[in-house]
Amino acid sequence: MTALNNNKNSRVTDSNKVSFIFDGKKYFGFDGDTIASALLRNNIKIIGRSFKYHRPRGIYTCGIEEPNALVQILSEKDEPNTRATVKKIYSGIKILSQNRWPSLKNDFGYINNLLSPIFSAGFYYKTFMGPKGFWKNIYEPLIRRSAGLGKPPKEFRSKSIHHHHNVDIVIVGAGLNGLLAASKFIDTDYDVLILEQDNILGGSLNSSQKIKTIDNLDTHVWTKKTEDLLKKSKNIKILKNTLATSYNQINHIIALEDNSVGKPLASHKPELILHKIRTKHTILSNGHIERLISFRNNDLPGIMLAGSFEKYIFRYGVIPEAEPIIFTNNSSTFSLLKSLVDLGCKPKAYIDVRDESSIEKKTKTILKTNKIPFYFSSEIEGCDGNKKLETISIRNKEKQIEKISGTMLCISGGINPDVHLFTQSKGLIKWDEKYLTFKPETAFQNTITIGSANGSFNFKRIIEEINEKLSLFNINELKIDLEIDCPEDLNIMELWETNNEKKSFWSKSFIDIQNDVTTKDLHQAVSEGFDRIEHLKRFTTNSMGTDQGKISSINSLGIVSKILKKNISEVGTTIYRPPYAPLSFSAIAGRSTYEFYDPTRKTSIHSWHVKNRAIFEDVGQWKRPWYFKKNDKETMYEAVQRESKELRNAAGILDGSTLGKIEIKGKDALEFVNLIYTNAFTKMKPMTARYALMLGEDGMIKDDGIVCKINDQHFIVTTTTGGAAKVLSDMEEYAQTEWPHLNVYLNSITEQFSTFNISGPKSRAIMRKVFSDVDFSNDKFPFMSFKKVNYLDTEVRILRASFTGELGYEVYVTPKYGLELWEKFFRYGENLGLIPYGTETMHLLRAEKGYIVVGQDTDGTVTPLDLNLNWMIGKNKKDFIGKRSLSRSDTSRKGRKQLVGILAVDKSKIIEEGQHVVKSSSIPSKIKFPVKYLGHITSSYHSPTLNHYIAMAMVEGGNDLIGKKLYVTQNKSSENISVEIVKPVFLDPENKRLLS
Amino acid sequence: MKEIFSISGIDIFQREFNQIMIRGNEHNQLNQIVNKEVSLNLPDKNLQIINNDNILIARHSFDQWNLIYFNDQNYRDVLKLVSNLNSNNQVCASDYSYGQVYFDISGEKKNYYLNKLTHFDLRLKKFPVNTMAQTLIARIDCSIYHLKEKYIITCNKSFEDYFTQRLADSINL
Repeated sequence: MTALNNNKNSRVTDSNKVSFIFDGKKYFGFDGDTIASALLRNNIKIIGRSFKYHRPRGIYTCGIEEPNALVQILSEKDEPNTRATVKKIYSGIKILSQNRWPSLKNDFGYINNLLSPIFSAGFYYKTFMGPKGFWKNIYEPLIRRSAGLGKPPKEFRSKSIHHHHNVDIVIVGAGLNGLLAASKFIDTDYDVLILEQDNILGGSLNSSQKIKTIDNLDTHVWTKKTEDLLKKSKNIKILKNTLATSYNQINHIIALEDNSVGKPLASHKPELILHKIRTKHTILSNGHIERLISFRNNDLPGIMLAGSFEKYIFRYGVIPEAEPIIFTNNSSTFSLLKSLVDLGCKPKAYIDVRDESSIEKKTKTILKTNKIPFYFSSEIEGCDGNKKLETISIRNKEKQIEKISGTMLCISGGINPDVHLFTQSKGLIKWDEKYLTFKPETAFQNTITIGSANGSFNFKRIIEEINEKLSLFNINELKIDLEIDCPEDLNIMELWETNNEKKSFWSKSFIDIQNDVTTKDLHQAVSEGFDRIEHLKRFTTNSMGTDQGKISSINSLGIVSKILKKNISEVGTTIYRPPYAPLSFSAIAGRSTYEFYDPTRKTSIHSWHVKNRAIFEDVGQWKRPWYFKKNDKETMYEAVQRESKELRNAAGILDGSTLGKIEIKGKDALEFVNLIYTNAFTKMKPMTARYALMLGEDGMIKDDGIVCKINDQHFIVTTTTGGAAKVLSDMEEYAQTEWPHLNVYLNSITEQFSTFNISGPKSRAIMRKVFSDVDFSNDKFPFMSFKKVNYLDTEVRILRASFTGELGYEVYVTPKYGLELWEKFFRYGENLGLIPYGTETMHLLRAEKGYIVVGQDTDGTVTPLDLNLNWMIGKNKKDFIGKRSLSRSDTSRKGRKQLVGILAVDKSKIIEEGQHVVKSSSIPSKIKFPVKYLGHITSSYHSPTLNHYIAMAMVEGGNDLIGKKLYVTQNKSSENISVEIVKPVFLDPENKRLLS
Repeated sequence: MKEIFSISGIDIFQREFNQIMIRGNEHNQLNQIVNKEVSLNLPDKNLQIINNDNILIARHSFDQWNLIYFNDQNYRDVLKLVSNLNSNNQVCASDYSYGQVYFDISGEKKNYYLNKLTHFDLRLKKFPVNTMAQTLIARIDCSIYHLKEKYIITCNKSFEDYFTQRLADSINL
């Protein structure tokens, strides 16, 4: 038999024909079809090959729960693992079946099915144990190559976006219950957001005939009318094609909107929108999921869930088969039976595991009237067929096997409320013995479950339930009449698995169709001791596919409970974790990709740097010039050597705007600064500055900077670039929580000043030209003093300080004039040899002088004493952060790692940063005993001024080793470099340059 | 004033304002100083805004206010006010004028648009006119001021390029 179109009462009609390509062949469907409905319309039943055994697979469901029909969309950047049951077709869409080679019909991988008797549960764990080295080199690459279904796209630049919502109520699911609930909020003060995964509202009203009329209106008419009212209501917003995927803490819901349903991806629009919703209350009306029954070869193409079959008829207008066979253990299949008969189709047989007396009269009447073969107290033993369903074996009430031919089997093993989101929200569920399913029991958040999502399967009680559950909102009562045409009760009988008569290695009774897990695997897992459901899940991979076992996880619990002879409630349930359905990484990332990956910060001079060939370094979020290329051929090494040499010979200017700057003011500012830093500031004269250290409470160096004292009530301090925010927040915390009695206030002024560091022997001459009114002589402007100077309509602060060891100045100016002043320096300084230099050159220059960089030469375990910075500690100060810790036995002991200089005996040798300082001249090729290492290299550079490498290291007892010989390891050799331990000041130890 | 984007329902302009950040605990004393200088009182409720056509004063926290000049202001006058405020040793006033960038966002779709960039609840009932907030917009620490029919958003100037690009990008997508 072939598929038929239902043009009578479906939501997809044959008015608009759409062509599409499947596995290279052109087919036609209708506008609104999913890939699955269009393929069924074309009588295509095999859609793909299974994950492990490469068995032919068809379409099992009609929605998000689909385990089988996953395809690759070639026309959408090769998007893999797309659910054919959800994805809508459009003209020209190119679809490829997955996990087969060379073709869907003849798949080489089917050999796995022939070998399947050895691929039982735990096969990988037991098999790939040896020989040693095989896992890494043979097994893992092989398994990785053959694993997975679709192939991930190689190039794909996403345009997904995020959208935030703050509402009072979210309604998940706009089926009958969702619409009824939403209609209560029309024109109220509540902000309501409705999420519907389909592109039309109505849910089950579109997929069955269980409700005939609502308020005497045809269900489609009522749905349309309700939707219009909701749209007109200013407080209600509807998001279609939007699937709620995660329900997080504090009523935070994530929902994914597919922005290109039924149309090709637009180049200028986002394909996915991730909605991040904060709500006060959540109403879950997201319905239910039908479950399967396990029997021999229950995976053959042609087997489908009964509810899904019915949905294809009414939602998509395709009757996949005019004479299907129906197999059930409950009354939900009445609706399908009646619908088929009403449409003039006649099921080939109706098989019900229940005894005749348990089956409602209406069903029996239809069966009798239409002379449909009826098997009560019967079950399906198994199915057979070559790549598709051909024969069905029925175990009748006399326990005899009867065979009937058929190409389509509709099964129903019962109904599960869709509790995924409810359990994600930490709601508790409880086993219901009447409906044989887990139902929501206790909400953990402001969550209300209604309809079948709540396990309420009786349509007659809908209105009463909604009025009762939404009564807390004090809104109008619903008064709506429903005309119902289905049994009131589900009247389900327990059946998870039927007995298998045919003993064959290749006949399998599947429990997890996507992951190829069989009921035999469950038995084996339990017999091997994996009797906890969480362990069993991981051992067998049951429910671990992309469908999360939506149609089968309860069945596996049922089977395990039988094996263990326990109640299901005693066996427990796995926790459903977000996301509800697979979520692409592009949706999660949103716009935080490529150029927007991380916010970037630029100084006011950035454009000049770009024009002048700066290569940038990321320091936190800042873009800092690393070095400036003189020409395209110049390497970083050459540029840094050049910049260093030219600065020491003439002058260089660095954009130091990124340094943190904090203004400290208040009556008690002096006391505050004294407490924050190790140095003593009480006797410090106004308008002078000091290099200062900030410690943690453990006595370790946290940050450094320069403290400028305007007066005892007013200081301006600088911090490292990366430490700025943390230092300010720590200062604020101390001011507010530890020393609230101090009158002191802090403002971050990092952004309020562009900062330039001008150094080199010619820097004074340049400063004189730029600020002609200022006396820069040593007497009038000594080292570590600062002045405020008028500049245009503002003031510039000039500080004499240096991080290069040369005569130097720091200039602070409002960003308004940053670029202008920078360019002025070059106008006046170019003839004097002024060059721009970057952070790498700065690092080299400071290392020559033995200045440390916090975070490079320190690592959170270094005290000022370790760096021989004892002079920076105000010994007479009553207190400062970390003071007590500096006298602890560990921080004051001898033999701590101390900062030293390192020079190679053969000065042409390169000493690498991070290498170990050791006593031995080589590292044995086979290390039998741990090699004692004394310390590590923290900084290493080639000094163009000294013409050899210099390095700094933290070495155990370093101060006592000055003049001694040790060794430094190498990356690519077991031979160590012979080095001499020296003082860590390589250039101008007398400070002649600095104070010139 | 620079137009960043102007389409149906949404207008974004970059503005040049002057700003002073003020910290201090003595509300009455501080209020007198500020009132004398700009003829406006300091708001006494957290996150409240008081403004006239020329000036906005907002209370960020229990000891922090900021003052924004909407109109072209002589920079020397701004610095003079900073200096006057700082003459009181229990006040810390810092000039924030050119270290910040300012965006004026108006139009009926401004909330819809901004919620592409921020999780902040912009609904009128949660974020009334004449209030302000500090929050993340486009992952950047921003202040947002709700004035009648528009928002003023400020952030550090170093983020200007990134922030402007994100504003334009969100309109396009």
